[in-house]
Parts: sequence; C-alpha cells; structure tokens
Amino acid sequence: MTYTTETEEPLLTLDDYRIGFKTERGLAKAVDGVSLTLKRGQTLGIVGESGSGKTVLNRGVMGLLAARNTIESGSAKFNGQELVGENRQSFWGTKIAMIFQDPMTSLNPVMKVGNQVMEPLRQHKGLSKSEAKQRVAEIFTLVGIPEPTKRLDQYPHELSGGMRQRVMISIALAIEPDLLIADEPTTSLDVTVQKYILDLLTRIQKEQGMSMVLITHDLGVARGRADEILVMYGGHVMEHAPTEELFENMMHPYTAALFSSIPHLHHKKHTRLSPIPGCPPDIVDPPIGCRFASRCAYAQERCLTETPPMTYDGDHRFACYFPVKTPQGQEALEKNQKRGHTASGLQIRKGKVA
Amino acid sequence: MKRLLGLGLLLTVISMITFAAMNLLGDPLFNILGPVAEDVDNPDSVKLIEEAKEQYYLDKSLPERYVRWAGDFVTGDFGVRFSATGQPPVTDLIKERFPRTLQLMLMAQLIAVGLAIPWAVNAASRANSKTDKASTVTAFAFVSLPNFALAIILFYVFSIRLDWTPDVYTATDPFWGFTHDHKLMQMLLPALTLGMGSAAGYQRLLRTDLITTLQQDFILMARSKGVSRRKVLYKHALRPSLFSLITLAAINIGYLIGGALVVETFFRIPGLGTAVVEAVLREDFPVVLAIVMIVATAFLVFNYLADLLYGVIDPRVREKENYKESIFCSWKRRVEPVDATVEAPT
Repeated sequence: MTYTTETEEPLLTLDDYRIGFKTERGLAKAVDGVSLTLKRGQTLGIVGESGSGKTVLNRGVMGLLAARNTIESGSAKFNGQELVGENRQSFWGTKIAMIFQDPMTSLNPVMKVGNQVMEPLRQHKGLSKSEAKQRVAEIFTLVGIPEPTKRLDQYPHELSGGMRQRVMISIALAIEPDLLIADEPTTSLDVTVQKYILDLLTRIQKEQGMSMVLITHDLGVARGRADEILVMYGGHVMEHAPTEELFENMMHPYTAALFSSIPHLHHKKHTRLSPIPGCPPDIVDPPIGCRFASRCAYAQERCLTETPPMTYDGDHRFACYFPVKTPQGQEALEKNQKRGHTASGLQIRKGKVA
Repeated sequence: MKRLLGLGLLLTVISMITFAAMNLLGDPLFNILGPVAEDVDNPDSVKLIEEAKEQYYLDKSLPERYVRWAGDFVTGDFGVRFSATGQPPVTDLIKERFPRTLQLMLMAQLIAVGLAIPWAVNAASRANSKTDKASTVTAFAFVSLPNFALAIILFYVFSIRLDWTPDVYTATDPFWGFTHDHKLMQMLLPALTLGMGSAAGYQRLLRTDLITTLQQDFILMARSKGVSRRKVLYKHALRPSLFSLITLAAINIGYLIGGALVVETFFRIPGLGTAVVEAVLREDFPVVLAIVMIVATAFLVFNYLADLLYGVIDPRVREKENYKESIFCSWKRRVEPVDATVEAPT
C-alpha cells in the first residue's frame, strides 16, 4: 500500500480472462474466467496445486504460449493497454520480467551467465559491452552473488542451484521491469536457500517499487510476502483476499484444505497432515457445478449442478455456496458427516475433516 | 594420447584385414604379365613369372610382405602398382587424385550442413505446420532419390539447359573462381549431388533435436527476455542441438566416399573414386589398399575432430577432463569465512 493510492490506475487488470488449448479431445480450458487487479508496487500471490492454471495464466498474460494452439479471450490490461489479441513481444524484457521455477533448466547451458544477463541490457537498453558488464556486476552484488566479476565468465553448470536462481533474478532485475512474475521461484531449491531467495525478491521488489506476481503452491510461501492472495483451482478463482484477511478468515473449503495439508510449527508431534483426496478436475470436460465439489467435504447436491457465483465481502471474494465457518457451511458439513459421505460420494470419516 | 594409440591400432587392424583379403582374391600376376602368367609349361614364361614374383615380392610369405608394405607405408611410400610397368607409383597416383576427392567431399559436406541448418531451423520453429510437413516430404524425396538419378537431373538442368556450370572437369584449371574455367564451378554439381542427399538426412535429425531444445525452459526464458525470434533460434537453440548432427556428419564421411565413387564416375572427375573402381577391376591391390587406408584414416580423423567439436560447443564436455581433479581438490578449499553471527542453540 506504500506506493499506491486508491485512485491510481492498477498496473494489471484481468477481466473474465480465459485461455484454452486445442487438444485432440477438445478445448482444454486451462484458465476459465479469471478477473483480478494488481496495483502498482504490490505483490499478488497466486496459490493452487499443480494443474490449477496458475502458470498458464501468467504465461498467457505474457503472451508466451504457442499462438497456434491457444485461444485467448476476455480482457487483460497492462498499464491500461489491452493485451489480448495483441503481439506482446514489445513487453518482453522491457516492462515485464519472469523468473522460472527451475534454475537448473532455465539458463542456457552453453552460454556464459554474464552474457545471459547482458543480453537484454544490450538489446533493450543499448548499453555497450563494458557498460553492460559493469551493470551486471552491480546486479550480481545486489542479489548476493560473491565475486561477481569472476561469475560473469562462468557457465551455469559451474554454479549451485541457489546461485543459478540468483542469476535468474539478476536477468529479471537487469531490465528494471514494472512487473515481475515469479513462477514458483523456490520450488526446486532447498529450504535454507528458499528463504534467502524469497527475502531477496521481496526486498528488491520493495526497493525498486515494482509489482510482483508470486506463483506458488505453498500458502506458507505467499504468507508474509504477498499483499493479496488469489487461490486458483481448475482454472477458476476460488478465493481472493488481502493476505491477513485470508489467513484469519478462510471462506473457501479448498483454501482451508490447502492450508491444512501443509505442516505447521504449532502442530503437536505426530499430527497427521490432511491431504486433499482425489486429483484436479479434467479441464477438457470440466464438471458442471463447482470444480472442487468432487473433493470437497462440504459438497451438497447444489454444488454438483450449479457453478457457485463469486460472493463479495469487501476486499474478500470467494466462490462457494457453503463457506467454511458460516452457518450454511457448518450445516452442510454436519449433514455430510451424518450421512458419511458428501453429495459427490466422497467418504468422510467422523471428526477428521478440516 | 591414449586416443592416438587407439587410432594407430585400429588402422593396423584395418590394413591387416584388407591386405589379407586382397591377397586371397585373384591373381595379381595376370595383371602384371598378361597371358604369360598362365603359360606355366613354357620355360621362358616360367622365368618371367619367377622374375616378376621376385620383383613384386610375391614369392615371400604373407606376413613378411605385410611387414615390408607396412614399413614403406609409414614412411609415405605406398609401393608399386601391380601393372605391366608398375608406373606411376601408388604414392604419385594418390597424390594426384586425393586432393580432388577431398575437395569434392569438403564441398559436399559444406553444402549439406549449409543447407541443413537453415532448413531444419525453419522447420523446427514451425513444427507440424504446413511448411514443416512440406519440408519433411521434400527431405524424404531427396533421401530416397539415388545420387546417380540426382546427378542426371542436375547435370541436365544446370549444365546442358542453363549452362550455369561447366560440363567437363579439367584437372589443370585453378580452384578458386567463378567461371567455367575454375574447379570450384566444375565441382559444384558433383558436390551438390553428394550434398543434397546428406542435407536431407541432416535436416531430419537436426529438426528433431531442435524441437526438443525449443521446449526447454531456457528457450522460454530467452523469449521472455525479449530476445528476437531469430536470435532465440540461432543463438540459443541451435548450439545445444548440434551434437547429433556433428556425430552424423562425421560418420557420413564413409557414405560420402561411397557416393563419390558414383559421382566421380558420372561427372568424369579423376579422383579416388574412379581410381578405386579401376584398381578393383584390374586387381591392382596396392592401389586399393592405399585408398582403403586413406579412407579409413580420413574417417577416423573426422570422427576425432567431431569429438573435439563437442567440447567447443558445450563447456560441460570441455571440463569433463578436469572434473575428477576439481571435485578431488576443491572440498579442501571450499571452507570460506562467513560474515555472520550464529545463535547458539538453546
């Protein structure tokens, strides 16, 4: 909230944004009507399990998907400029930067890392080779790469995973983007390095006043780093709220299930984690009602036939008929517990539900 | 060093096998003396036969002759031909013919690689599109077209109809130049004939590797950096995709030599191809042996160069050599002072 006022135009606005892939079986609706706004200088966390459409959403906005098999519709505005149907090449490496999940495979193995960072600098900022080198050395220092001038001439395989991710961050930062999309930036790193990288990203984002989209499947990663959190499932937005509000007041059973499937420090020893049963829905032929219904402990008959509309409660929005901790939700849960299964036939053991 | 030793050993084995095989087949005396060789009842003829045997060491045992030949071969003397006069010596024949075949092969290889790279990049960047499918069909057409058929087509179109290239090869003309009186132009069609079949094969292979590379994360990363499409393809994707192409190109040397035989005959280029055909027909086995050795050496040398090239395109291959040493030594040096305070565990 530091860098923005209520009247300022948001940096990124999505309105009923959809991405479908043409497959042999039909259209795979990977992102199905997502609306969101990202204010300047803010961080939006997008959380969801594998296959929920978070990566596709961002690559779609960026225009990095193969145009031939992709159908994009709805509206996506960056800085007030419509992106859907436009060639977004002019944004690449200038206004929007990306950090990918796996630093092991995201750097070109046959190019010196220095050259890989210098490439966008020379191309978009018109720096000479020595200027670019100087700048890269500065950025390397900023992201905590020791002996920056020596690293310039090294190849990716000579660096550790954490170092490589720092190089990736350097590439993204080099161009001073307005928006940084970090797609699971720490998933393939070990925990000690994870924290360092996340803190680094947050610090630099604050310092440079850029906006960030932080994609993760770990609610814990988004907590404390994102200003707002958007929970996605099967290409739909399930819940969206400011971070504090979301953790205090989880409304959607999916968010709650996601939260209780990760370990917490305050858990007693040998507490069993509650995994979410089943797997994500088929996006080519999605279920008619709520997409989470088949795995949800709260599911009623209504959830199987009607898609729940978005309910707004101030900054907080969610798409559920029977939100957690509301009278309707409690009633639905009790009903399911009483009959031993949900409307979709999911078995419930008594007292063992999030 | 170890490798060079291996190469030498391999060449020795090849020469032994060829040497033995050539001596078991046919009767070299007939080529040297003509009908006299079979006239064993006539004392005059027998005398001639004995003289010839002595002159060409045919009266010695096989191992002895091999050792004698190998000793000469190492010093660059490929021996005498098995013909009436024994002239010119094999060495002179090879010296005259080898450069032509080498020129032809290098030109063919350059044409093949030069055609295959843009062709494959173009196809791979539009994988499964109509362009790609059309180029696949074209590639198969080239692969399945025998080189003598291609030679006839090219010769008819470019030499006879269009007269862009000369239709005779003149051994005394200089190489570099773009008129009918330069070997570069005279060799263009033969090289094209040889190169196009190979280019199609290279294209198939490189296209597949490029498609795999283009799906890698670092390509997405390069695109998101705003690197132009052309640069993504040629700078980021091509280099890591070249491995199989280099391997195939080196192995393909063998195929090119086989092809050179046909092409040289068709275009009447007096190179090694035509020499080996003549020599085999006349059972002139020192010539065959020399050519087999040259082909084998060329094959091994090009494959060795291919191995060096792997290191040039990929730094990870380059450092394999020092790898053992580095993990062995560095663990001792790695402990560096850290500027931080650690809280004692409670």
